Amino acid sequence: MSSMTQEVLATIDDLQNRYIAALDGKDITAWAGTFSEQDEATYICRSAENEAMGWPIALMLDDCRARILDRITFITKIWKGTFQDYRTRHFTQRLSCEQESDTVFRVRSNFSIEYTLDPNASSTLATGLYEDVVVIEKGEARFLSKRAVYDTTVLPNYIVYPF
Amino acid sequence: MNMKAGAAPDLAWPSDVTDVPSEVFVRKDIFEEELERIFYGPYWHTVGHEAEIPNPGDFKTIDLGRVPLLVARGKDGVVRVFINACSHRQNQVETAPCGNRKGFECPYHRWTFKNDGSLAGCPGSEDFSPKFRKEDYGLKQVNMTNVFGLILVSLADNPPDIDTYLDRGKQNLEKQIGHKEGLQLLGYQKVRYGCNWKVIMDNDGYHAPLLHTGFRLLGWQSGGGEQFVRDYSAGVESQLVPGKSTGILKDSSLIEFKDSQWDAGSFVTGIFPATILVKHMDVISIRFPIVRSVDCTEIHYAYFAKGGDSEETIKHRVRQASNLLGPCGMISMEDAAIFRRIQLAAEARGTAIFQKGVKDLKSIPNQFLQNDESPNIPRWDHYRRLMGFSKKGEA
Ligand code: FES
Ligand SMILES: [Fe+2]
Repeated sequence: MSSMTQEVLATIDDLQNRYIAALDGKDITAWAGTFSEQDEATYICRSAENEAMGWPIALMLDDCRARILDRITFITKIWKGTFQDYRTRHFTQRLSCEQESDTVFRVRSNFSIEYTLDPNASSTLATGLYEDVVVIEKGEARFLSKRAVYDTTVLPNYIVYPF
Repeated sequence: MNMKAGAAPDLAWPSDVTDVPSEVFVRKDIFEEELERIFYGPYWHTVGHEAEIPNPGDFKTIDLGRVPLLVARGKDGVVRVFINACSHRQNQVETAPCGNRKGFECPYHRWTFKNDGSLAGCPGSEDFSPKFRKEDYGLKQVNMTNVFGLILVSLADNPPDIDTYLDRGKQNLEKQIGHKEGLQLLGYQKVRYGCNWKVIMDNDGYHAPLLHTGFRLLGWQSGGGEQFVRDYSAGVESQLVPGKSTGILKDSSLIEFKDSQWDAGSFVTGIFPATILVKHMDVISIRFPIVRSVDCTEIHYAYFAKGGDSEETIKHRVRQASNLLGPCGMISMEDAAIFRRIQLAAEARGTAIFQKGVKDLKSIPNQFLQNDESPNIPRWDHYRRLMGFSKKGEA
């Protein structure tokens, strides 16, 4: 983390904040908008158990830009009107940020997602680690890849929104 | 280990075969009685598949009702199922959900067990009671059987013959997991649903094209399918043919059917009481149930590839399994959401009434179309009799 400027860190933190604000605000299009427009952009959410054991299964596996956009379709069209909605609040803490090239950074952050399904009972939906590759494209930070690895192996509910 | 079933809880069952009293989903006394009669009784319960523990020393832990089990493959390659309790003072032996060990150690007094369950060491045994004999103090093994690698156990001493138990279901199982080169584990999705286990098993053929917008938007047509129901197994065998793509997905490779050579069919099998196996397109999945309480059911969705699959096929199975059929799956998240809503509304203790495919209110049907909900009727009747609930107006 030698020559990381405050400015770069602020740009990266701002991206993470836009990400969680999009999710907590249920703006799934804005969520997709935090990812790079390159075809190789990926979002992968999987359990720490699968990760530790080397099993490839994920909970959400968007391994290209088109899949990320299709997740918008899942949520806004395919599942529309079928589920009891819940609110989320994401909390993150950046642990490390390493520069890989002029425009590429590797960022690791803890995350915790509180959710409210019953209005009188907020509780933890999942907690884990974000492993992100961030690119600065046209002066703006975007995720080239985001991996959400959750410790909450047995999730407490069905899952609608990305972690 | 035979537990004692009590008297049937007090419940008057409606006389029309279509009617199910919702209180069976919410009454704690009924759940407790189900544990004794069904989950600890003379029936078969799935606890794993051999492919989850492929190597000597591999193990997994899982609960059957509230009884902790340890499923382990010994150094000799044999899979055995044990009560996960030390033969000394009944301390829990293994805490990890899965792993690989040469043997198991109980930390309390450091007794050690080989991975075939036998007692290897017990410090201070020269001072043990007159009834101690080392060969009698291995981990307690439970009755088990294996069907196409699927491991089933019974805590009762007198479980039924497995082929009779599975009946028509065995044919479905063969199409789902009976691949000659075996299966390989791809991993799990694990989740707790806020509902009674019977809510999940009561899912029907009527809802599929209606609840799951995904089927419609993707242009999938269901060909002529068959639903079957036996006492301890039920299922569907159908041809789920992707129709004309409606272009709704930008990446339609997700829903390609690549391994149609093996069997083009779509298969769902339920094994009484609470296991479901699903093979849709290239997803091979076993859903292991753990009944936690009257209103909480944990499901471990285990996903598999076929032995001998190419790397490309495995990759395809992984992305399909990960996105289509679990707690966040494109054509299954809605089921989970419905399960919870049924559970909440069951508190009103109303009556659930089946309609689709029902011709007669007093006789149990045995012929069904793919989108009927009438196959649930014989299943409920079987449950009712097993639990000892008599119908209103009957003795
Ligand atoms: S309880 Fe296990 S060694 Fe004593
Ligand atoms: Fe369904």
